[in-house]
Amino acid sequence: MIGPFKFFSSLKLTVVLLAFSMMLIFFGTLDQVQYGIWHTQKLYFESFFVVWSYPEQAANYDKLFWLHIPMPGGYLLGGMLFINLIAAHITRFKMSWKKSGIFLVHLGLILLLVSELMTDLVSEESQMPVNEGGRSNYSQGYRDNELVFIDRSHPEHDTVHAIPVELLKPGSTVKVPDSPLSIRTVNYYPNAELGRSQAGPVDSPADQGVAVKMAIVVNPKEETYAENAINTATAFIEVLGPEGPIGTWLVSNVIDDRFPPQMVSVGEQSWEIAIRFTRHYYPFEVELIDFKHDKYPGTEIPFNYSSEVMVYHNDSTKNQKALIYMNHPLRYEGLTFYQASFANQDTTSIFQVVRNPGWVLPYVSVLLMGLGMCVQFGIHFVKFLGKQRA
Amino acid sequence: MKKLIYIIVGFFTLLILGYGLRPTAYDSAFDIDSFSELPVQVGGRIKPIDSVARNTLLILSARQKVVTPEGEKLSPIEWFMDLTMRPEVADTYRVFKIEFPDDLGLAGLAEQGQRYYSFNDLLPHFEELRRLHGEINPEPKKRSPYEQQIADLNDGLMLYHRVMHSLHPVGDAARLDSLVDEYQTYTSLIGPGLAELRKQQAGEDYDAKILNAFIFFGDEYLKLSKTAYLSLVPPPAPVDPLEDWKNIGLELLDVMRGDALSPYVTSYAALTMSYRLDQPETFNTEVAELRQRFIADFPSQIGRVHYERVFNNLQPFYLSMQLYVLVFLIVCASWLRWPKEFGTAAFWVLLLAFVIHTFGLVSRMYIQGRPPVTNLYSSAVFVGWGAVLLGVFIEKFYKNGIGAAMASLVGFSTLIVAHHLAMSGDTLEMMRAVLDSNFWLATHVVVITFGYSAMFLAGALALVFGILGVFTKGFNKETARSLSGMVYGITCFAALFSLVGTILGGIWADQSWGRFWGWDPKENGALMIVVMAAIFLHARWGGICKERGLMALAITGNIITAWSWFGTNLLGVGLHSYGFTDSGFLWMMGFVLSQLVFIGLVLLPYRYWRSEFGREKNLKDRKRILIAAEESEEASVS
Repeated sequence: MIGPFKFFSSLKLTVVLLAFSMMLIFFGTLDQVQYGIWHTQKLYFESFFVVWSYPEQAANYDKLFWLHIPMPGGYLLGGMLFINLIAAHITRFKMSWKKSGIFLVHLGLILLLVSELMTDLVSEESQMPVNEGGRSNYSQGYRDNELVFIDRSHPEHDTVHAIPVELLKPGSTVKVPDSPLSIRTVNYYPNAELGRSQAGPVDSPADQGVAVKMAIVVNPKEETYAENAINTATAFIEVLGPEGPIGTWLVSNVIDDRFPPQMVSVGEQSWEIAIRFTRHYYPFEVELIDFKHDKYPGTEIPFNYSSEVMVYHNDSTKNQKALIYMNHPLRYEGLTFYQASFANQDTTSIFQVVRNPGWVLPYVSVLLMGLGMCVQFGIHFVKFLGKQRA
Repeated sequence: MKKLIYIIVGFFTLLILGYGLRPTAYDSAFDIDSFSELPVQVGGRIKPIDSVARNTLLILSARQKVVTPEGEKLSPIEWFMDLTMRPEVADTYRVFKIEFPDDLGLAGLAEQGQRYYSFNDLLPHFEELRRLHGEINPEPKKRSPYEQQIADLNDGLMLYHRVMHSLHPVGDAARLDSLVDEYQTYTSLIGPGLAELRKQQAGEDYDAKILNAFIFFGDEYLKLSKTAYLSLVPPPAPVDPLEDWKNIGLELLDVMRGDALSPYVTSYAALTMSYRLDQPETFNTEVAELRQRFIADFPSQIGRVHYERVFNNLQPFYLSMQLYVLVFLIVCASWLRWPKEFGTAAFWVLLLAFVIHTFGLVSRMYIQGRPPVTNLYSSAVFVGWGAVLLGVFIEKFYKNGIGAAMASLVGFSTLIVAHHLAMSGDTLEMMRAVLDSNFWLATHVVVITFGYSAMFLAGALALVFGILGVFTKGFNKETARSLSGMVYGITCFAALFSLVGTILGGIWADQSWGRFWGWDPKENGALMIVVMAAIFLHARWGGICKERGLMALAITGNIITAWSWFGTNLLGVGLHSYGFTDSGFLWMMGFVLSQLVFIGLVLLPYRYWRSEFGREKNLKDRKRILIAAEESEEASVS
């Protein structure tokens, strides 16, 4: 066998990779205390390389601050294991009944790795709050934001022109799709603190809208990754019409519908300008008929949350009634709706909406791996029993 | 000789069984058994008062008995009766456990060598205690051990006070001796009292005496409704099992709204009066009546409540714990002399202990109506059970005592862990909504916990390899081979169960949150076990590690499993302080260190091994070195 091929197919490599995986998982768990799950996941498991450093909050930081441990990240280890597995099967493996179990386990593992990568890359999570008796046709993210221009002139529906905030680079100009407008980003802050100035008018790039009327001060802040914490995405946007600059607005996802809408006008036409959590619109509406929150008698321990919903599709043959409750999501049109939370004294139900095209893969891989293990150890066990009798 | 050994072992077994199962005959004319079976609603389910008494005492004293100043031993329910019905006596019982009374900062409290204090001992220090409690860190996770002790004592006193007020208002002896009259006065006062109150509010003339008496009761019962710990009063029939029960104070208050006073309330008052007046006949008829009323109201619950009380008394886990110790001792004896007889005896005692362990496990399932593992406590019970189950099979096949010894070791240790976890109160608590799925509890949780069992058993067997190999002469190639075989087999089981369990968990997560895998600490812990088992198996198949390398890996498995089981919980506990002050963290570190020592032991160079196996290996190593040296010599010559 040729050198590199031997290396990539060796069991030694497998063991080393597994040992590194264990180390990665361990430190990737420890660091969650500091960074929260989401950020740790990006740092450790969706990366090629990571360095663990001794956490500041831990005891003896002053003595151990120099402690850093570099290690390969999840993508690197996953990829290497993948190659290792394939190479081993090509070079060493002879298909036989005796090894059929191992083969199945490995096939399941490959599928699992693929599905996990797919989930990382393409799955989308968002939330849909619905009030009892109310309906909703969109869900919104809680990390991603978008800059929107909303044309409310049509009596039946609104027209939304959306620009992801990733395109808001200071100084650059972006055309607003399907409109005569374009924008130039003066400044963009992924997270900021907004407050009212006590000392009268403030020196601000904004010359239009709420920022001027309420003398709002913007203090940029470090982006946070903590659980349940929200980044206040904020920007100063200069809007350009066909005849040049119209003005500069302050927009932020905390300047929401509690404030009067900020309007941009060109001649007869006008748009509302805002930054908000990215919305996903659907060709159907979810109506919440009833939300239930039951507790064990004499306690505050919940034993059931459930939402009775009716889904109205544009194509009414797809209308559907459903009860969404713990461990029983609604799968509909490639989306899955989970009972996630509730609000407003149990009158609003919040659904987690997940689009994950690869959701079936883990199930298949489970079957393969479980079956494979049973076959493999079953063969061993029968052999063992035979030996004992002999 | 053979028979004698069986007789000796049988004698000890019977001794343990007899002592554990002796009937609790109370030296009293009062029908304490029936009283202890009266129902209360706590934590979302109906249970016997006996369970409340035990759990309260565990929280306060960390044990299930009380010693009176006269030296008499009281069971939890006897203590509970004194606490609620004769509080003036109960206040002299030393029930508050204070681990380090000298460090408390309460001058004049600590007595030499005394860790238990009575309410009356603490009474003079209340002012000071309140001041100290006001100064401690409000964030429970950031408290020092000293602050935690203050907080625990304060909470303990509150609990004591609230439990005391469970059955009726508490006052001086005169009041307690006339509770039934008090309720009568109160109910007959409600009509006139309300009338006078209306007059007063309308600005008319009113009878101040009646009004004041009425308001006095109102205030008293309002206070009681906030203090009384137990929900003792079921709603009037027909009863919905999901409806809230009331405590005594609330029930008394609600009489003002025109509800009839529940007969449960007067019955408890009558019980107290007859107990105080030492009238067992009245007490016993009253208890019987209460019981009949409960049976009539809740025909489907009485069986379960009765069973729970019996289960509490039997303490099967305590019993099997003692038997596991016996098994271990018998096996040790078998290694010294008469291996066959002692071995057989050990196997049967192990089987008996396992049956009792199983009985406890199944009983809890019946009482709770749940699969066996629902919280950390029950996982400890189950890990031990699983390890013993596997150990029984190993012993059956290999018949050399090692399986039995390690099964009893793991069984005993996990039950000890469970025993300490039980100190926090009720271990049969209700499940939060997301966990409320018998299907997933029965599959994912059980399978993965069984994986822990297998990992621990494999690790324990590897410990034997190290200890016997290094320290005993008799350990030879055959024993080494059979031990490695056991470790390998059990690790295969562990791999299978951990993998299947972990993936089932992923599917559950997908069902309830929409993601198969979220890298949260508990999930990661489970994955680490799977990876550990995979490392072991691949290292063996690839011939990368020989016997002792594999043993070292199996012992590492112990560390990984302990981390997955407890360590990840510690992370959650001390989210910011890493739970360093937590006693659980220290235990965890202690365990890890001990395992590292054992890893060091098996990795010791063969020339330090006393066993035949080690010496042979050592010789072989030397031979190999010699041959290699000769070869290189020859090579250089030619």
